[in-house]
Amino acid sequence: MKTQRKFNIGDQVSVVDKTTLFHHRAQKYTRGQSGIVTEFRPEWVIPEDEAYDRAGNGRKEPFYVVRFKQEDLWPDYTGHSVDTLETEFSESWLEPATSKGSR
Amino acid sequence: MATMQYDKLLSKLRNIAPEEHDVLDSPYMISNELYAVLRSVLHDVGGQPDIPQPYLLKEEEEWEMNTYLTSECLAWRGAWNSEMRRRSENDLGATEYFGLPYYARWIHGAARILVDYKLITVDELGAKIDEIRARLEVEKK
Repeated sequence: MKTQRKFNIGDQVSVVDKTTLFHHRAQKYTRGQSGIVTEFRPEWVIPEDEAYDRAGNGRKEPFYVVRFKQEDLWPDYTGHSVDTLETEFSESWLEPATSKGSR
Repeated sequence: MATMQYDKLLSKLRNIAPEEHDVLDSPYMISNELYAVLRSVLHDVGGQPDIPQPYLLKEEEEWEMNTYLTSECLAWRGAWNSEMRRRSENDLGATEYFGLPYYARWIHGAARILVDYKLITVDELGAKIDEIRARLEVEKK
């Protein structure tokens, strides 16, 4: 069955800044930041469930690679303005981009 | 790292780091801000201030590869998965997480999952360590 996805390659997305407890894998420095979807990753059990022995019956979500501009992530970034950082999120960590961040 | 960059980073760190570190000794109350810091998942270290570290190429030790194989075999037989192993590392708490070598965190978690699943007991594990220590004639500290 084809995976139903909320976002497409090229979409501008923001990382949800939600309260977290215990185990998760969404880096703090990406919270509330905007980036662009560059790749799809297969649907899989989210880390929040897989970490608690729910690989067999945990919630599955599509995953995405999101590209951020390093300048957006780090206030005093001293590298090149073209530098980027890519990392992965499950779908529930992403929302359509707010005005914050740049293309 | 060039000296100039190093000095710049150090002066930046001095401005970021709080001047006083309160000792946390089971306080009666803490602020919401402190709770947010304390409940932060330990492996999420990106962006935290630090001084430059030397980049070293390190070969794997035999015990490290044995740890890897043990962990993979436990996964193969359905005891855990990689995400449970990562969680077990975070669950160590800050002192052990940052105090132990990388693969020592793995083997700690592997031992704990065997105890959790009642496959071994903590005293059996301790006794085995003592037995091996005696065989290798390693001093007990």
